[in-house]
Amino acid sequence: MSKEIKFLIVDDFSTMRRIIKNVLSDIGYSDITEADDGTTAWPLLQHQHFDFLITDWNMPGMPGLDLLKAVRADERLNALPVLMLTAESKREQIAEAAQAGVNGYVIKPFTATTLQEKIEKILAARASK
Amino acid sequence: MSSMAPIKTKYGPLVEELSAAFASGDGTRATIALDAIVQLRDSSLFEELSKLTVSLQDALDRFRITNLAVKEMPDARQRLDHVLTMTDEAAHKTMDLIEHSAPIADRACRAATSLIELWQHYRRQEAGAPDLRAVIERTEEFLVAAQCDSDTVRRNLDEVLMAQGYQDLTGQIIRGVIQLVGELESSLVELVRLSHSHRNDGDSKEAVGAKVFGPAVPGVGHGNVVNGQQDVDSLLSGLGL
Repeated sequence: MSKEIKFLIVDDFSTMRRIIKNVLSDIGYSDITEADDGTTAWPLLQHQHFDFLITDWNMPGMPGLDLLKAVRADERLNALPVLMLTAESKREQIAEAAQAGVNGYVIKPFTATTLQEKIEKILAARASK
Repeated sequence: MSSMAPIKTKYGPLVEELSAAFASGDGTRATIALDAIVQLRDSSLFEELSKLTVSLQDALDRFRITNLAVKEMPDARQRLDHVLTMTDEAAHKTMDLIEHSAPIADRACRAATSLIELWQHYRRQEAGAPDLRAVIERTEEFLVAAQCDSDTVRRNLDEVLMAQGYQDLTGQIIRGVIQLVGELESSLVELVRLSHSHRNDGDSKEAVGAKVFGPAVPGVGHGNVVNGQQDVDSLLSGLGL
């Protein structure tokens, strides 16, 4: 599998972004950009190319669900794989994210293996299309 | 100055009756008239008191003081307890992993030192120096152990990294409690302002309707939460994802 994937990580906690970045770099992905909420992520998505978006849900400014909806509503971005990585664990929320078009949902705290599995599953599904 | 008219209307007949009793020198009649005046005055006080109680209850409800005191503050205490537990667990997990890794590094260092000495001994070809085969065998043993040990240390370091996720989770909980304390503060300020001005026309304070709940906290009602990643996966696969 190609490791030339450009990731955008969106989380308001810099420690969490660092953890995700480390996990990604351990599994061979090094092209990573960070944003601290949907409001700062959106201009990046508009002006740069990304292959994969990993976003938290609960963030000040623009929450992850709104970011996901904005991505799905944008003609140029709507096929972007989006993984929600969040502590929000209500069934209704997961269903809402699924309905909004999320490709994967990982709840915090998570393991490196879980994150790796979900990312690779999403990438494999995209490659087979 | 307040108008005399309502007071005259309310108490006038009884005062006249009292004056008449005084004029006629009828003590019993005067006592009855006095009692009637006091009773009428008391009933007005009770009415005022009851109005004040209703206003107080209304203010407590309007500024969400009741809900904050009865439900949200105890929840906040429980959330902060959970933060303590999480920070405690993360700190112990990190220290356990360090305590597990440090002896491995020490052992590798000792083994390397001993191997270096062995090679130096061999190179000098002094009396009793080991033969090449023995040195190679020891070197191979060292390399096999180093490969295994460095793998263990690497895995421990990965776990140390993942354990730092507590900062995000506890941060979300603390942020929620800060928001609640802020809300309580402004509610109390409003209440104080109301008590000073006897104002009744403030806007009703609503709970912040954020549609996020943060990390699930044991014992704090979050509704229908999933129980781990497996639960999430089966829920999503049920939704066709």
